[in-house]
Amino acid sequence: MFKKLLAALPLTLALALPAAAQDSFPDHSLRIVHGFGAGGNADTVSRILAEEMSKGLGQPVVVESRPGAGGTVASGYVTKQDPDGYTMQLMVGGHAVAAALYNQLPYESVDDYTFISTLGQFPFFIAARAGEYESINALIEAAKAAPGTLKIGHSGVGSTQHLTGELLDLRTGAKFIHVPYKGGAAASTALMGGEVDVIIDTGTVIRGQAEAGVYDILAATSENRWPDSPDVPTVSETVSPGFDVVSWTAIGMPADVPDDIAERIRGEVHKALELPEVQEKIGDLGAKAGGSSGEELKALIEGQIAVWTDVIDSAGIDKR
Amino acid sequence: MIDQFLLGLSVVLQPEILMYAFIGVFIGQLIGVLPGIGAITAISLLLPVTFYLDATTSMIMLAGIYYGSQYGGSIASILLNLPGTPSSVVTCLEGYPLAQRSRAGLALFVAACSSFVGGIVGVAILVLAAIPMTIIALRFGAPEYAMLVILGLLAASLIGTGSQIRSFAMVLLGIALGLVGADATTGYYRFVAMPEMADGISLVSLAMGLFGVSEIIRNASRRSPPGPALSITMRDVLPTRAEARSLVLPIVRGSGIGSFFGALPGTGAAIASFMAYAMERRFSRTPEKFGKGHLPGLAAPESANNAAAQTGFIPTLTLGIPGDAVMALIIGALILNGIIPGPRLAVDQPELFWGVIASFFVGNIILLLINIPLIKLWVLLLRVPYQKLYPVIIVMICVGVYSHRTSVTDVVLTLAFGVLGYLMKNYRFEPAPVMLGFVLGPLLEDNFRRTMLLYGGDFTIFLTRPISAMLVACSAVLIAFAVWSGVSAMRKPVHSTP
Repeated sequence: MFKKLLAALPLTLALALPAAAQDSFPDHSLRIVHGFGAGGNADTVSRILAEEMSKGLGQPVVVESRPGAGGTVASGYVTKQDPDGYTMQLMVGGHAVAAALYNQLPYESVDDYTFISTLGQFPFFIAARAGEYESINALIEAAKAAPGTLKIGHSGVGSTQHLTGELLDLRTGAKFIHVPYKGGAAASTALMGGEVDVIIDTGTVIRGQAEAGVYDILAATSENRWPDSPDVPTVSETVSPGFDVVSWTAIGMPADVPDDIAERIRGEVHKALELPEVQEKIGDLGAKAGGSSGEELKALIEGQIAVWTDVIDSAGIDKR
Repeated sequence: MIDQFLLGLSVVLQPEILMYAFIGVFIGQLIGVLPGIGAITAISLLLPVTFYLDATTSMIMLAGIYYGSQYGGSIASILLNLPGTPSSVVTCLEGYPLAQRSRAGLALFVAACSSFVGGIVGVAILVLAAIPMTIIALRFGAPEYAMLVILGLLAASLIGTGSQIRSFAMVLLGIALGLVGADATTGYYRFVAMPEMADGISLVSLAMGLFGVSEIIRNASRRSPPGPALSITMRDVLPTRAEARSLVLPIVRGSGIGSFFGALPGTGAAIASFMAYAMERRFSRTPEKFGKGHLPGLAAPESANNAAAQTGFIPTLTLGIPGDAVMALIIGALILNGIIPGPRLAVDQPELFWGVIASFFVGNIILLLINIPLIKLWVLLLRVPYQKLYPVIIVMICVGVYSHRTSVTDVVLTLAFGVLGYLMKNYRFEPAPVMLGFVLGPLLEDNFRRTMLLYGGDFTIFLTRPISAMLVACSAVLIAFAVWSGVSAMRKPVHSTP
């Protein structure tokens, strides 16, 4: 492993040197801004991508964390930067949630962006303590039989996990109590300790416990079965046909980035996503790596804004 | 257990892994000394390096940064009144007065030794009692946390050095500041003047401002700053035999309190050190000495926060559930190495599991060994004239605070809290209760409201759950004790100490 470190050294040095000017873009360092804490999933994905992109662009790509207000501080910041192609934003599924949840945002969630590409998509999983519910059908039946008693722990009011639970209520007619925790780990502790009956969260939170036999994974929230968990049924095929919640990470830039520069960045992103080690690392984080065109990303975001606006209005969640 | 621990030792004593353990604790120590730059920043910057290391080595290094920073944090607190972490706020209370009385060397020595003992006790608990501790920790639900915080607030209600009323007012101020941000139960924004404040006021800003910046303003406004006359022979660094003896029990109590609180996910080192300090003061025969550089008041919280830093790994290692943000980062590093942490970690990856635990043991020894010789060097720092030292420190504070969230708002807030802290000091209001309210207030609100949501607004839940009922009983005893000693003090107006 030390050899690997040494092998990486000349590369790092090469990056520090000014790149041979074969093309005027980029002639200085670029940055990926994201709106979450240092070391969170968004930060890690940014760093994985930044490392590969800097090789292709011949310039360092710096990761900048500007956390706050569910990522909207970073979005407000990025959309006000020059559209010169040097500022990127790592966007997450929460971007569409924020558009639906906040009364006022310091930016336009779609129009203020040049959309580059998706990076990966991931479903949520619904899990209960092992042996408590035979299937998702059994859970929903139990919830319907005793409305307002079964508790879903989620990772915070207005998180995608929370809204997914509310959507489950809306579509199946069950009435869960939705209990907020500070993050998925705290919700998972509560499930383990018996304080809540179910949690909805990402594979990174749930899978380790499921493999150890502590949790049963009842269902995935994606419309079709997720490739790396083919045995897990979906909500759509069991209790609510058409149920489809998939979260994502993506790269966006401020509006009006020149087409050739956006194309160059998109090319680099796609190139990085094709590398097996990048796919593997993104896979370890629970997502399926995959790029897209700018239009596809835009359509994805617009579609989700519509869904979440509906959920928030129907579930009576207070807008901020 | 012992066999497995030996297996762990054999892992960590491989030269290469030992080197990374050393790098980890050394960086942690360094980061801890720098004001405002926390373990989180350091670990996230080093995360890409772990792409090239295997899981065990990465985890040993990152964990080293974490508990190493607990050692480092006390240095800046003692020398300059700059608490880098919430737990080192308590270190300032007794450590800084000692430094001002030219006993910085002694304070650093006691802090290092207490930290070492606390760390080792924490590791021992981790080795011997990780599973039972996990079971207890899982029994702590929202009602238990709510009652625990109430007990903590009660126990710590004596933490200021001034009058009770003033100290109470400052706890309330802290709670009020803790309310800023999104309400965890409804998502409503409270007192959010600008979007940067939506996640609340940064703890680092508050601690740096109230303690560090205010102290700098105070010193700058004095004509002749109290530049301590310094001699740094080994005799000044070592405690006398009597002093050493007076520290044994506080360190033992501190380690015990720290080990317990560390194992509860989400509470951690800060509460442990506040509780340890309050406990020492409660049980001391000479409570009036606290706040003026009393060694037991330094030793107990120091051993507590380091014990907590070690047992904090219990939920992380046994359940795969991170107790705080730093643990979440460390788990992130594991996941990137393709290991999904969970209850099977000890079985599936015994070398990793026990290697990491053994590395704590080795790391604490390394920390003690690098800390003792450095004491002389740190004390020399105080020889730098104030007018040269403080501009540098202000710049470092600003950089450190900015680096946390890349936020200018945080820097401005830090300086504003500095002015507030200066005014408070002038009017004899203590900053420590503010920190206590700021840390515990939101925790209480959050868990109380979650309890109400979970149990349909039924207050009796606090008395029908055994652990919660026990905590309520402890609080009741504390109140009774305070009333009783208050009444008997009134009967005997002249208080004589034995």
